[in-house]
Amino acid sequence: MTLLAVQALSKFFGGLQALKDISFAARAGEILGIMGANGAGKTTLFSLIAGHERPSRGAIRFEGRRIDGMRPDRICRAGIVRTFQIVRPFSAMSVLDNVRTAALFGRRQERSHARATAQAREILAELGLADRAEDAAATLTLSAQKRLEIARALATAPKLILLDEVMAGLTATEINEFLAAIRRIKERRDLTILVVEHVMQALMQLSDRVVVLHHGELIAEGTPKAVAEDERVIAAYLGQPT
Amino acid sequence: MRRPLALAAWLGLIAAAVLVPPLLGDYGVAVALSLAMWVALAESWIVLSGMTGYVSLGHAVFYGLGAYVGVLLWNTVPSGFAIIAAGIASGGFAVIIGYPALRVRGPYFVMLTFGVAELVKYVVIDLEAGLGVFSRLILGGPSVIVLYYVMLCLAAAATAITFLVGRSRFGYALRAIRENEAAAETIGIAVGRFKLAAFALSAVIPGMVGAVAVARSTYFEPLSAFDPVVSFTMVTMAVIGGSDDLRGPLLGAAFLVGLSELLWANAPQIYMIILGVLLAIFVLFAPEGIAGRLFVPARRAVS
Repeated sequence: MTLLAVQALSKFFGGLQALKDISFAARAGEILGIMGANGAGKTTLFSLIAGHERPSRGAIRFEGRRIDGMRPDRICRAGIVRTFQIVRPFSAMSVLDNVRTAALFGRRQERSHARATAQAREILAELGLADRAEDAAATLTLSAQKRLEIARALATAPKLILLDEVMAGLTATEINEFLAAIRRIKERRDLTILVVEHVMQALMQLSDRVVVLHHGELIAEGTPKAVAEDERVIAAYLGQPT
Repeated sequence: MRRPLALAAWLGLIAAAVLVPPLLGDYGVAVALSLAMWVALAESWIVLSGMTGYVSLGHAVFYGLGAYVGVLLWNTVPSGFAIIAAGIASGGFAVIIGYPALRVRGPYFVMLTFGVAELVKYVVIDLEAGLGVFSRLILGGPSVIVLYYVMLCLAAAATAITFLVGRSRFGYALRAIRENEAAAETIGIAVGRFKLAAFALSAVIPGMVGAVAVARSTYFEPLSAFDPVVSFTMVTMAVIGGSDDLRGPLLGAAFLVGLSELLWANAPQIYMIILGVLLAIFVLFAPEGIAGRLFVPARRAVS
């Protein structure tokens, strides 16, 4: 079943076309990788889906309903949440309050503080942050702040989560821990994941399917294996002979 | 737990405030009235600026509007209605200007609020001049002691609002907006609506305070009702006291009212200079304010 459908999506920034006529769909329950070099349009695509930018043309449908041009908070309430490539914790708030706030709002718009706190603690434990619950978010290491970013997103009870380079800047060991954590999280929930990742190996391991963006165009779509063997993808990554 | 102790301290404070008129006489009431007024104003300011980080340097406009509405209505309707109408007028005005103003952040919001307050001041001056009125008087208003108790209620209400907002879902939203507005939006917080609600809420009590203050001074004159020093003092008190803690404005107001009583009596010409130096010292060396220094670790809402 199609959860998210991106249809003929284009985005211009002034004269620059960041996305050209992109179409693809994410099925419910899958991990869809989005691959592409710097400037390929990956983050722009996330900003459009999450409502931080308005598309110039085209449509985005979530559960059959158009969401393009909707405000980010309304999109979150519909069930889509994104994380940010450069983490954006509520720095002065405690780790617990960061996640609790997301549980109080998010898709459920939870009215009960007790329930929100319980949900937040559960998610913190799941991501190995339970012992840091009372510390200010600003005191966490980068790896822990990235986990907090995911914890806060999960607390909104999303159906679709957009992970924007959550593994960038981490060590090999940390990346392996992250991959395991993401799989664990998905197993426990009815969750669909879109991943943008520069760490190619991680993306290939994690994704059920991959779409490849190149200079704002979608040039390939398929299983990680098929995509890795695609000639256009190889040419885009290794450079075309001139 | 320290809860019972804190509760006892608050109750003691209220009891002391109620006993001021019989125990301390006219001068005591005058100082306590001014203290209650500043507590009410600074606590209201916290709801917007302390919690969301949108620093308003124009809160005098709500005080001034309240005073204006108060003086216009004071002799025509029962005084309770005049005070409530003043609060509604200021809250309503906050909704109208907040809608466009809250789209800008940081220094732009600071300048915009300051500008709006000055604009309204001159509009009222022109309006009054056009009507041929240069100052309005309130004759036969309530006694100072009655006004003191009304002001005390407003101070208590403002403090209670700050307390309740701080622990509520609404308060979590406001702090998230302060910490990172884009992230707040992403986790499903309707930031525009919450900011506007905080702005309106932080304007209502200052409007009511304005109406009581005008009855106390018995005359209305736009230059003093919309005096930007009112805005500056609110900010200074909240910053000196600590702007993310409901005890902050209380301590800041007590400190500054006490200081100004001392200085007005002994060295009125350097009062503003000392105020400026103090603000600079606190911003540089103790941004968490007196409350932040006194009650470490500053615990946020626990549930």
